[in-house]
Amino acid sequence: MATVAKPTIPVVIERPGGGLLSGLPRALTIVLTACAVLAPLSLILYQSLLNAPFFDAVKAVGIDAYAFIFADPDFWTALRNSLLIAAGMTLIAVPLGAVLAFVMERTDFPGKRWLEPMLLVPSFVSPMVLSFGYVVAAGPVGFYSIWATDVFGAAPWGLYSLGAMSVIAGLTHVPNVYIYASSALKNLGSDVEEAARIAGASPFRVAVSVSLPLIMPALLFSAVLIFFLGIELFGLPLVLGDPEGHLVLSTYLYKLTNKLGTPSYHLMAAVAVCIVAMTIPLVLLQRHLLQNVRKYATIKGKAGRIRELPLGAWKWVAVALVGLWLFVAVIVPISGIALRAFVTNWGFGVHLAEAFTLENFREVLNEPTDVRAIWNTVLLGTVGGAITVACYTAIGFATHRRNDGWSRLVDYLVLVPRAVPGLLIGLAFLWVFLFFPPLRPLRETIFSMWIAYTVVWLAYGMRLISSSLMQVSTELEEAARTVGARRGRISREITLPLIRHGLLGSWLLVFMIFEREYSTGVYLLAPGTEVIGAELVSLWQGGAIDVVAALSLINIVLVFIGLAFALRFGVRLRD
Amino acid sequence: MSELTVDNLYLRYGDNPILKGVAMTLNRGEVVSLLGPSGSGKTTLLRAVAGLEAPHEGRILIGDKVVFDRAKGIDIPAEGRNLGLVFQSYALWPHKTVFDNVAYALKLRSISRADVGTRVQAALEQLSLGHLASRFPHQLSGGQQQRVALARALVYNPPVILLDEPLSNLDAKLREEARAWLRELIMRMQLSALCVTHDQAEALAMSDRILLLNGGKIEQQGTPEEMYSSPETLFTAEFMGSNNRLPGRVAEIRDGAALLEGDGWRLWGTAKAGAASGSDGIGMIRLERIRIAEGPGDNRLAAKLSTSMYLGDKWEHLFHVGEARVRAYGDQPLTAGAHWLEVPRQSFWIF
Repeated sequence: MATVAKPTIPVVIERPGGGLLSGLPRALTIVLTACAVLAPLSLILYQSLLNAPFFDAVKAVGIDAYAFIFADPDFWTALRNSLLIAAGMTLIAVPLGAVLAFVMERTDFPGKRWLEPMLLVPSFVSPMVLSFGYVVAAGPVGFYSIWATDVFGAAPWGLYSLGAMSVIAGLTHVPNVYIYASSALKNLGSDVEEAARIAGASPFRVAVSVSLPLIMPALLFSAVLIFFLGIELFGLPLVLGDPEGHLVLSTYLYKLTNKLGTPSYHLMAAVAVCIVAMTIPLVLLQRHLLQNVRKYATIKGKAGRIRELPLGAWKWVAVALVGLWLFVAVIVPISGIALRAFVTNWGFGVHLAEAFTLENFREVLNEPTDVRAIWNTVLLGTVGGAITVACYTAIGFATHRRNDGWSRLVDYLVLVPRAVPGLLIGLAFLWVFLFFPPLRPLRETIFSMWIAYTVVWLAYGMRLISSSLMQVSTELEEAARTVGARRGRISREITLPLIRHGLLGSWLLVFMIFEREYSTGVYLLAPGTEVIGAELVSLWQGGAIDVVAALSLINIVLVFIGLAFALRFGVRLRD
Repeated sequence: MSELTVDNLYLRYGDNPILKGVAMTLNRGEVVSLLGPSGSGKTTLLRAVAGLEAPHEGRILIGDKVVFDRAKGIDIPAEGRNLGLVFQSYALWPHKTVFDNVAYALKLRSISRADVGTRVQAALEQLSLGHLASRFPHQLSGGQQQRVALARALVYNPPVILLDEPLSNLDAKLREEARAWLRELIMRMQLSALCVTHDQAEALAMSDRILLLNGGKIEQQGTPEEMYSSPETLFTAEFMGSNNRLPGRVAEIRDGAALLEGDGWRLWGTAKAGAASGSDGIGMIRLERIRIAEGPGDNRLAAKLSTSMYLGDKWEHLFHVGEARVRAYGDQPLTAGAHWLEVPRQSFWIF
């Protein structure tokens, strides 16, 4: 006999899903995402096809803008430089990143645990700040140059040539390769390597004939990624290319206004379209290659405990190599900034102790613009970052476990901003605010920065969110459905609580990225919207080195605070 | 009265057909097992009943209410079907306590807080989980997790409970105890249960009726005894129990009996569907039906002992009969060399 009495329960309390109302939040999310992504980009395209800025009374549709830039020899030089630097940095970053990944994942290299976050530092510090660090550390009158001159009679390096820029860009982009190569190695079970060892292959043969071919798809992917980042490069060529007048595509675009003296929006738009025409195929290629990487990942061996390969006498070679890289890519620029922020001036014959000062920081704090920039940057990272993560989560839920046309549309929508450098998205949003009069009041509020940042980092953020969502087993949601919960409640009461740690991690990562961001704000900078990154670009152009140094150091400290929290909460710094 | 009716169900993933016209019923108070090899569509059928898969054709009724009818465009979503489903992985929500896991379904049904408390507690007591209410799923053993999953599926008294491989996540030792406990619980609570399993021993022990699926179709259905002792097809015969398989040629069919000839042997057996005089046939006999005989006689095989295995409660002997291999149980070890095996006519099926 049944021991539990069977009271009558209303069979279905909730109306079955599928009503108009239940689809509304999703439709709204998708439409808003589409607007935020497509409005600025279509405006760029439209502007590029006009022969004058879109707000001019007299304008006509045509290809004059393209005709102008294609006739400008500087454009072709900039294009050539962009390609050269991108190729150069790919050749440097990929092999170094691969070696670094192998050393860190497979060998008994000493001190790996604390080294790992160090390796990622160049990818967390703003390239603008890093480049500035190189100038004050290793420029003609940089700290290290002067010390080297004291010892050798002259500093045996130059900083401002195309070659030097490629090397610096290559070295600072090693982490991007390292991330993908090391997770490929992690996924690659050591059993396939052990099988090769047992078949009689030496450790070196194993690396060359088993490990390397198996992580080839990941390396190929990172090569395309680095090349793509090379085309996008802005802060580094802006700072380092200036003294010798080397232009790349982004700096060519940035300097167009100076060149003509009048707002030449149509020309900027034409350059922007040219850049995007190069980056979109690269992004699609990356997407394709990433699918290949995943394909390989599914045929991986069992990822068991990995036995470390003893380096033996090679240990010191590896230590020297990793140490040298860390020194050049992390210690030199950051120590340069840290020193420069605390001295009045620097040059031959100046002693550190005599030049020591806190005046630079006092100057920053006495300048309302700079104080506002710091405040805005923090606000944008914390509150703005939280709202951004909430938006990304809403988009994530709009596509979660749905395989319809709308989901595929969102997939591509998310990918589009990936192909557009932040500088251009900032510019495009400036135009959106100018173009649609109802939006104009928002132009001089921090909202304009926030929306641009959120769109620029859409693809990155969505990767964080969807990797959290993917970790929720389908059955947990199906179990809720079978006991009678509709989609909205499942999202709120089952899925959302389950991914809250992932969301906290995403928030911290978004915070760091928003602190680091600089190029997106360049064109949106206005009284009220100051942020450190864009302010640095503007101050650097004005030559205010003392303030730049102090603000840069503050920026680094903000990023490191985020990093410290992330490490404290065990956030995975990479996917 | 039929609690669940499935009618002519078709389902495919892309171009890959999974269910090809399945029909079945589940009566009140009955345990029906869906049995079959992997890829036979048994889990898909269960999920289609639950509303988690969308069939391309057919009808599903719960009681007399149509929950799915392709032709009429009716498809009540999973949350509206009021069924209980126990997942293979249990799928307990890791962020909710045992109590909250079980209470969730009642909260969804807007039942007052006090009622929720008493009913959840009653359901937990029923499954001897009363003292674990405030634990989180990761603090429970596998067996306890399984019982929480059951409590969660039963607390709102669904008319039918669906069990997806309910025992496969338990240790081999625990599984047999859990099997008996589950059967007893289902009987005591008079549940109507549809259970997916790939383990024929589990299906035999648990069910009132077994549906054997093969490639998206029902191969045969019946009580456990029928399924085991009178299989209609070769597939059913081979899937249930441990078998010997003797390929040969059907020499003669007379009065429902058939004579199968092989390399140096002739045996009479029961003629099954498909056996035709003069064509190739396959003889099947369960291991436990073969008797080791002293010498030649009626329906006996000459066999050469290859090896013997000690199983604890008995011996299993492996013989060679020409090209074929025959296994049989015995009480004691055998000497190497030639032996005689008796094949009872009733138990030797010729397909």
